Amino acid sequence: MFKRKKLQSKSEVLLRNIVVTAIVIFNVCFVILPIGIAFVGSFHQWNPLKGTYNFLGFENYKNVFTNKLFWRSMGNTVIFTSFAVTFRVVLGLAIASALYSSLIKHKVFYRTIFYMPTVTPLIAVAFVWKIMYNPQIGLINKLTGLNINWLFDGRYALASVLLMTIWKDFGYAVVLFLAGLYSLPKDCFEAAKIDGASSWQVFRFITLPLLKQNTLFVVVTSIITYMQSYVQIMVMTEGGPGTKTYLSTYLIYNEAFEKYNFGYASAISFTMFVIIAFFSALSFRITNVKEA
Amino acid sequence: MIKKILSVLLISAMLFSAVGCGKKETSSKDNTNDSAKETQMDTVDKKEEKEDKKLEVLGDTMKYDPNKEVNDGQPITIDFWTWDFVDIYQNLIDQYQEIHPNVTINLIETPWSDYWTKLPLSLNSKDSPAVFAIHNSYHDNLINYMAPYDIPLEELEADFLNVDSHLIDGNIYYMDYAMMTANLYYNKDMWQAAGLTEADFPKTWADVAEVAKKLTIKEGDQLVQAGFNYNGTFNQMVLGLNYQLDQNLFNEDGTATMNNEAMNKVVQYFVDLYRKDGVGSPDFGTSAGESFGQGQSAMIVMWGYYYNQLINDYPDVKFGILEVPKFSEDEDIYAYNRYNGESSLGISKNVSAEAQAVAQDFVRFSLANDEFLVNYSVRANCFPTKLSLANRPEILEHPVLSALAPNIDRYIWPGTMPSTVEDNMKIAGENILYNGMSVSDALAQAEATINSDLSNIDFVPVENMYKYAK
Repeated sequence: MFKRKKLQSKSEVLLRNIVVTAIVIFNVCFVILPIGIAFVGSFHQWNPLKGTYNFLGFENYKNVFTNKLFWRSMGNTVIFTSFAVTFRVVLGLAIASALYSSLIKHKVFYRTIFYMPTVTPLIAVAFVWKIMYNPQIGLINKLTGLNINWLFDGRYALASVLLMTIWKDFGYAVVLFLAGLYSLPKDCFEAAKIDGASSWQVFRFITLPLLKQNTLFVVVTSIITYMQSYVQIMVMTEGGPGTKTYLSTYLIYNEAFEKYNFGYASAISFTMFVIIAFFSALSFRITNVKEA
Repeated sequence: MIKKILSVLLISAMLFSAVGCGKKETSSKDNTNDSAKETQMDTVDKKEEKEDKKLEVLGDTMKYDPNKEVNDGQPITIDFWTWDFVDIYQNLIDQYQEIHPNVTINLIETPWSDYWTKLPLSLNSKDSPAVFAIHNSYHDNLINYMAPYDIPLEELEADFLNVDSHLIDGNIYYMDYAMMTANLYYNKDMWQAAGLTEADFPKTWADVAEVAKKLTIKEGDQLVQAGFNYNGTFNQMVLGLNYQLDQNLFNEDGTATMNNEAMNKVVQYFVDLYRKDGVGSPDFGTSAGESFGQGQSAMIVMWGYYYNQLINDYPDVKFGILEVPKFSEDEDIYAYNRYNGESSLGISKNVSAEAQAVAQDFVRFSLANDEFLVNYSVRANCFPTKLSLANRPEILEHPVLSALAPNIDRYIWPGTMPSTVEDNMKIAGENILYNGMSVSDALAQAEATINSDLSNIDFVPVENMYKYAK
């Protein structure tokens, strides 16, 4: 437990009060209140544009659990999230370790290159990759010599979107892991070197455990991000071919902003909320991180 | 304690001033407009204003008398929202303001992507626009906020096609300025290169298959030029061709019927075009429109909006436009296809009585104004619903409209068809072409989902209002 620092002056107290009150008001207005409204709305037939608001009880939730498309989209979301998180962490850690190594020169250049896709807007990247996947004029078929309709073939469509997502996002993990690596205590590595530990042993038994906090942060934020993916689906496949690449958030978007079925969309959202909370808690448990 | 209270008050003041800023800007703009208008009006001799301007009365049966004063000649400002056709609407507004200098109409453009969220919310507030453009697929979200037209029904029916199909409890809340539907587009250079002439223009879908074979070019198994392409347009294309086989899209109880004999036949025909005739492929590009524009496909079926896209994006492609073919050579056909109306303007019921009266007058002006209606039809590539305009040279010389002209009364409007119908037929098409599902199973799945969605919407099909309804 850290000792609470006593505020120095009245102006400091005033500033604290202003900032904290502003943050509380902002969160109440733009986070808690909308969540509350959506939760109540999930028990209604609700179209705010038309002014419809009829109580349905648990009907929307019943429809969610009996809807085949919901389960397909959930399945796709779990697959998509699992692969995206795994590749983001593994690639991020591998590249960060390589960049941390004294063997690599021009580190700033590589860091910049790897981080560039992360700061590029997803919608722009998705459009560019959509063209790259075009079976007639796309770069992917030209480079590989294949003749595959990547985004319209049910066997490849989700994997194609996944590949683009991994390419775009791994730089985020690289930067976080690099920051973690630079902050690790040097004496541990020196001690291991003196004891004759191999590079793999150093990585496995010293680097990885010390990076646990960073890994947990990347995993949890990635799960939350990927469970909510829909922009790349909207741009690249619109859920197709058929419904093969429907993700849960795309289904929510579709129900809310295409069909204006806000009550049903809210019910799916709250189901997702519970699922994301479960996976986040699971991540904490697996990494066995105790509260500070 | 006093400090705490002061902190809270300071934050509240910041918030209110932030909110106030946005509002103040609008108010000051309005005030500026109003005061400018008042100053302008002061310079006009009011006696002279009230005299008959001796302007020509517009309209056929439904008239618009520009000599009548609006809002008793008092200054008034209304808002008009649209997502498109800004120059055409501005021209209409300019004409109207010239007749009625006491009226100021602010034309506000909002992009399509935001329009359908912002408009209903605005219509339900005190900042509602008095007049707004409508797309009938958003009917369900808008109709509760709309005021009916203050124009006798018989006058509208005498001048315009298919007014009846827009009747709600005896009132018209909006109707169609013009009708948009599909045409067959063909590439003239490819046509010539294949040794085809005007005598080969397809009248039936069987003709299309034969001609498409001649227009298809392959290198080994690789398709180089598609004779016919419908990638990405399957749903738009097939929905409506069922009418050629005497089959409506909706049952009498309002439910959709997709998995019927006629629709199976229509869909199977197009599937066979790719699989049996080999005149195209689901993997030959992802968009038929782009493929045609890039000179890779010889024939496509597209709706009127595509004409502008071709002209603007692919100026080098030489193309011709034909009426959609039929499934039989029989002249007596139930209908060629469905059409969708390009809707007339809506009027908000949540504005002041004075603003509503001006809006009513402005809408009547638009419906009586032939110049506006012709410009609108030509720009939107839609056939005007005003009967007296059907033979205007601008219409008969337009490639899209001239192709439609001979049988324009043989197109059906199914009603304010919700997006779920097209969306689920798109999924059906992809399930058939890419996921190996049978035509019947895909249509059955689409039908079930559409009907599930329709049960949550107040949708009433109006196929029974069609002139030749069965």
